Amino acid sequence: MKKNWWKVLAVLLLIFTVVAGMLTEVPRLAILNETIRNLYFHVPMWFGMTLILLISVIYSIKYLRNPTVRNDVVAYESAKVGILFGVLGIVTGMEWAKFTWGEYWSNDPKQNAAAIGLLIYFAYLVLRSSFAEQQQRARISAVYNIFAFAALIPLLFILPRLTDSLHPGNGGNPGFNSYDLDNRLRVVFYPAVLGWTLLGIWIINVKSRLELLRQRLYETV
Amino acid sequence: MKLFRILALCCFFVLSALAGLQPAQAQTTEAEASVTVVAQPEVEMADILRQDGKIYVVVAVLLTVLVGMIIYLISLDRKVGKLEKQLKDDLVNQ
Repeated sequence: MKKNWWKVLAVLLLIFTVVAGMLTEVPRLAILNETIRNLYFHVPMWFGMTLILLISVIYSIKYLRNPTVRNDVVAYESAKVGILFGVLGIVTGMEWAKFTWGEYWSNDPKQNAAAIGLLIYFAYLVLRSSFAEQQQRARISAVYNIFAFAALIPLLFILPRLTDSLHPGNGGNPGFNSYDLDNRLRVVFYPAVLGWTLLGIWIINVKSRLELLRQRLYETV
Repeated sequence: MKLFRILALCCFFVLSALAGLQPAQAQTTEAEASVTVVAQPEVEMADILRQDGKIYVVVAVLLTVLVGMIIYLISLDRKVGKLEKQLKDDLVNQ
């Protein structure tokens, strides 16, 4: 139990996110109306994805420095959970966009960049599955993972800001903090980011342990 | 050592929540003041859903989904834990 305190924390934060996210006061904004509450569910997917993919890169670098099976497995499982978060982020974003921007896909620079970023990570999965030899697979996909992350960060956080975008904080459009990410939103938003990210880390934890068990089983048989 | 870390984390959360709440209250009073000065255009919100108390139905459904998912994840976690223990025992017995 002591070792798993962060899992308890994840559950508490997520319950808080749902209850407070639905019931607390939010700014009354035209067009957005109640959909501003998506801030607690859509945006944490992207924050969570970035943090989880960062974990993946760290384990890839660790693998290159110290090639153990564990480092490779954690890097791979983190990348998969990160991709899951990204897909959920893009789908929730499309749903939100339909009712506020009018289209599921309005070729918004950030939407396009996020799609490109996800494609880069899909390529990681394809690349990984194309090697039969374990060490070769682990090493080459670790190197690719570093480049994928290095491409993702400018795609999500730099390039969309250089042009006009419907997303807040891009182009001439002010960021959430400047006009409507007020303290009422922050009180729920930051716990939400932490809660969703911890949930992702929990899934990585279970999946990595299962994968390591599977590999141990093949060794002993 | 672990316990201290948990305690520190709890303190941090309580403090940050308090720090967040105080300016929020200040802001709402500010917002109220501005409402009285300038008549702001009415923005449609789910006020009726709140008045009817039906928003609690939504919260209940969302919580059910979330708790269901978490219970599933906990059971998976336990199953993997059991397997880990079993494998360790098998290796000792060999």
